[in-house]
Amino acid sequence: MRALHFMKIDYMLTRKQMYFMPLIFVMAWVVGMGAAEGAMSLLVTCSYTFFVASIFSTAPFGYCVGKNRGFLLLLPATVKERVAGRFLYGLSFVALLGILCAALWGVYALMGCELPLWTVAIGLCELAVGILIMALEFLFFYLFGEGKENWQYLSNIVRIAPGMAMFFGMSYFVGEIDEIQSTTDAGTGIDLEAMAGKFMQAGVAAIVASLLLTAVAAAVCVKAIGRRDYA
Amino acid sequence: MELLEVKNLSKHYKNFDLKNISFTLPKGYIMGYVGANGSGKTTTLNLITGILKGTDGKVHIDGLSREENEQAYKDKIGYVGDESYFPDHFKIKHIRVILKDFYPTFSADKFNGFIRDWNLPENKLIKDFSRGMKVMLMFASVLARDTKLLVLDEATNGLDPVMRTQILKLLQEYVMDGERSVIFSTHILSDLEQIADYIYFIHKGRTVLYDAKDELIENFLLVKGESAKIPPALKKELIGLEENAYGFEAILPSDKAELLGSAFLFEKPTIDQIVIHYIMSAGK
Repeated sequence: MRALHFMKIDYMLTRKQMYFMPLIFVMAWVVGMGAAEGAMSLLVTCSYTFFVASIFSTAPFGYCVGKNRGFLLLLPATVKERVAGRFLYGLSFVALLGILCAALWGVYALMGCELPLWTVAIGLCELAVGILIMALEFLFFYLFGEGKENWQYLSNIVRIAPGMAMFFGMSYFVGEIDEIQSTTDAGTGIDLEAMAGKFMQAGVAAIVASLLLTAVAAAVCVKAIGRRDYA
Repeated sequence: MELLEVKNLSKHYKNFDLKNISFTLPKGYIMGYVGANGSGKTTTLNLITGILKGTDGKVHIDGLSREENEQAYKDKIGYVGDESYFPDHFKIKHIRVILKDFYPTFSADKFNGFIRDWNLPENKLIKDFSRGMKVMLMFASVLARDTKLLVLDEATNGLDPVMRTQILKLLQEYVMDGERSVIFSTHILSDLEQIADYIYFIHKGRTVLYDAKDELIENFLLVKGESAKIPPALKKELIGLEENAYGFEAILPSDKAELLGSAFLFEKPTIDQIVIHYIMSAGK
């Protein structure tokens, strides 16, 4: 229960950035529309959304530095609850943006846009990568920089680089998929539709794996900072 | 019955060691924790609150250690520091929500009463509060719930005399039921003179003095006179000897009073004077 209270504190700490979320999502949609068409544009939108999520989900670490952390450190709770609350915040934040992506997917479907099942599977993989990047960033912040002041440059690199790599990687991947699809349409290449079931299994497995790895990252953080001062 | 028991508390840093700090504080009493800057006061208080992890030693509050039950242990403590420890861009409403979530004994009515009485602005960000407002908000947050031990780290420094008097009154009211205690570090020793029952004096991470305030005052004499008239046997016993063109001033243990003869003036010292002379003697 206390972990949920800590998650709530993180939402209170980052309440201002929440106002910008709809705007950022619209931006992601525009970026997707500009990069590709139909289902492919949705994949670009999702990768951009999770790129943004990887940056913004680490925001509580920036709000809780130096003396400002005192009140939260004095709350009657264990390190485990504190860390669990922060990871729940990160997960729920990525999930919230994932829901927005799913809603956009639904809108496209209602508008009659063709959305092959394998694109949904890739969308799930993107969500998994988004979760994994969040977990790795949290791990880094807890191990090296929790509560530290004056390390803004490094923390900005850690916040931006992995998500950016995912976004550009995904943009490249969409181009490659487009090529595969054109050979499929010509009847000479891999039949992506026929493999959709396998893709879906891989997507779900990626989500499960990312959640498990997030739990492991949280456990490592608890272990690492348990004996540390100001933890 | 002891409320706070500190036994052999130690903390090792690269350039500083807090070594074997031990004391007890009974229920219903106030302890002044004094020392120069960098003597280890904040380190000790942070070890008691559990923000710092000790290298060695034990702390029990009302019989409970942090290792036994961290939540219950922290629940017993109310901490007010020298600077605001609230996240800067929180407002009072956020603090209220958090206190309600985490402390079962938190009383929103009591908290709102303090906010109203002390004219704390509900709609301002905490970073825009004056220092006095920040301190009062810290007090409101700890007094609105049922704590056993108040830990104050130079909380009254920099406050105007009216506010300080108000806080000292609050502390006396806090311990009045005989079930709760206060440990209070400050540079304003006149505050301790007014309210402290025990004094713990620390210097460079080591214990110098620890006694009931009245005992401490009884145990020393403030001696003044002409420097040239100090016999060697007396000079050896004087603590923090300060000489100037007009003579000398020092502290002498009361049991050495027979060394004074009739050539010197002596009187009961204040806590301030005892501490200053001890710091001077340690610096030599």
